[in-house]
Amino acid sequence: MTLLSVKNLRVTFDTEAGLVEAVRGVSFTLGRERLGIVGESGSGKTMTGRSVLRLIRPPGKIEADEMTFNGVDLLGASEKQMRALRGPSIAMVMQDPKYSLNPVMRVGSQLMEGLRQRDRVSKLQAYAAAIAALDAVQIRDPERVMQAYPHELSGGMGQRVMIAMMLIPNPDLLIADEPTSALDVTVQAEVLAILDGLVKTRGMGLIFISHDLRLVARFCDRVLVMYKGKIVEELAARDLMQAKHPYTQGLLNCLPRIGGSREPLPGLDRNAAWAN
Amino acid sequence: MRHGQTKMLIEVENLSVTYHSNGREVRAVEDVSLSVNACESFGLVGESGSGKSTILRAICGLAPISAGSIRINGAAVTSPRGKPFSRRVQMVFQDPYASLHPRHTIDRTLSEPLAIHGLPGTDQRIMQALSDVGLPTSFRFRYPHQLSGGQRQRVAIARALMLEPEILLLDEPTSALDASVQAETLNLLSRLRAERGLTFLMVSHDLAVIDHMCDRILVMQNGRAVEELSREALASAQMKTDYARSLFAASADRMLQT
Repeated sequence: MTLLSVKNLRVTFDTEAGLVEAVRGVSFTLGRERLGIVGESGSGKTMTGRSVLRLIRPPGKIEADEMTFNGVDLLGASEKQMRALRGPSIAMVMQDPKYSLNPVMRVGSQLMEGLRQRDRVSKLQAYAAAIAALDAVQIRDPERVMQAYPHELSGGMGQRVMIAMMLIPNPDLLIADEPTSALDVTVQAEVLAILDGLVKTRGMGLIFISHDLRLVARFCDRVLVMYKGKIVEELAARDLMQAKHPYTQGLLNCLPRIGGSREPLPGLDRNAAWAN
Repeated sequence: MRHGQTKMLIEVENLSVTYHSNGREVRAVEDVSLSVNACESFGLVGESGSGKSTILRAICGLAPISAGSIRINGAAVTSPRGKPFSRRVQMVFQDPYASLHPRHTIDRTLSEPLAIHGLPGTDQRIMQALSDVGLPTSFRFRYPHQLSGGQRQRVAIARALMLEPEILLLDEPTSALDASVQAETLNLLSRLRAERGLTFLMVSHDLAVIDHMCDRILVMQNGRAVEELSREALASAQMKTDYARSLFAASADRMLQT
């Protein structure tokens, strides 16, 4: 079953320095599965994720031949319809908790805000739901975190708070933009297990955006590799070691491995022709 | 944990760092000892909040020493640390977006340590520093916002090397960077260490990065030292504690080694 269908997506920024094409003709479909989007910074992976929610500010422009979510035309929807979709239907975990959480609001109030405003639940219920969400992302001391301001949390804690916040409305599609890059490996594994459980039990779709190809391969069903705004290779995660494209191979080989040699790590070969 | 009679370059003995906040005691580091030989590369691994960064901060005076002692080349550190200390020990921070002054040009960032220490030849040293870390000299009068994350981290490394220190404290130097840029930065650090005979004390949560860079590794959890491992012991998975083993098992690169 197709949850999201994107055909020939283009994102352009008309700047003083000329037209910048961030995404150039990306097409993919997503069912209730885990799709990984991988690439370096500047490859357009975040912009692809954001355009699904139409979260691109002018002068940025989103164009596509088709972009539908569950039968709703995302390009034709009004701002009001989009607002109703964001959160309960499609949620996005942003990359940097330092810039995505409100710095002058306690974490607890931020977690409860949506529940109170949107779902009109009582303070007590909202508090319990927020504590449960923090518990679900393995925060050890949820009562203390509820009282804390974002600057009092470490990067990893902040990122877990963001994931907890996005999971409260129980969305059909979660777009996670580098959700674990601020976390260390043990917590990373826990957070991925949480996301994995949600995809399986709730039948949620997941778009997992990351620069870490090995992580994506371990966790996703399908992987799109992006380079300069285009998809250069699409493959099933289990076939990753058989990747054909030199860019994909480069992304795989530039990571150090335990017990590996001390030779300089291979740099990434960037060939402008791949983007054409 | 003294290693025989040879004098170690960095000696941290029974270090504790305790903070007081809202009437609660937060024990960031408890009774940790480690020692690093000259020209050695030593790694600290652990999850966030395990106190690994706090040890680096305590060494350079950014965190209070509540108990225990820190000695550099046999001499206990003074408080405040003073100029001779910063000639020897420099730190590279985690986030290159936060650790460079946004309104200072690269030139000013790099010349400040020279001005403080009254060293001559600013102009030539800056050009040399930029080319040492692989940045074009045309970047000299740019601002941090005009550089990418990897380029900024190169500037931060160049700044740390301006005073030609013996010891570099590296606090997650690549965790804010892309995989491909991480490879370039790690290669740069390895090259500089070989060329200049630097001593590294490096913190990371990525076991693979630490393994690539370090000769010995200390695993930390909840402010305490759990286990010290040699590189060989790590590669052959000979850890004694469950925590070190779980950290090893969770490392993202395990899955592709069949």
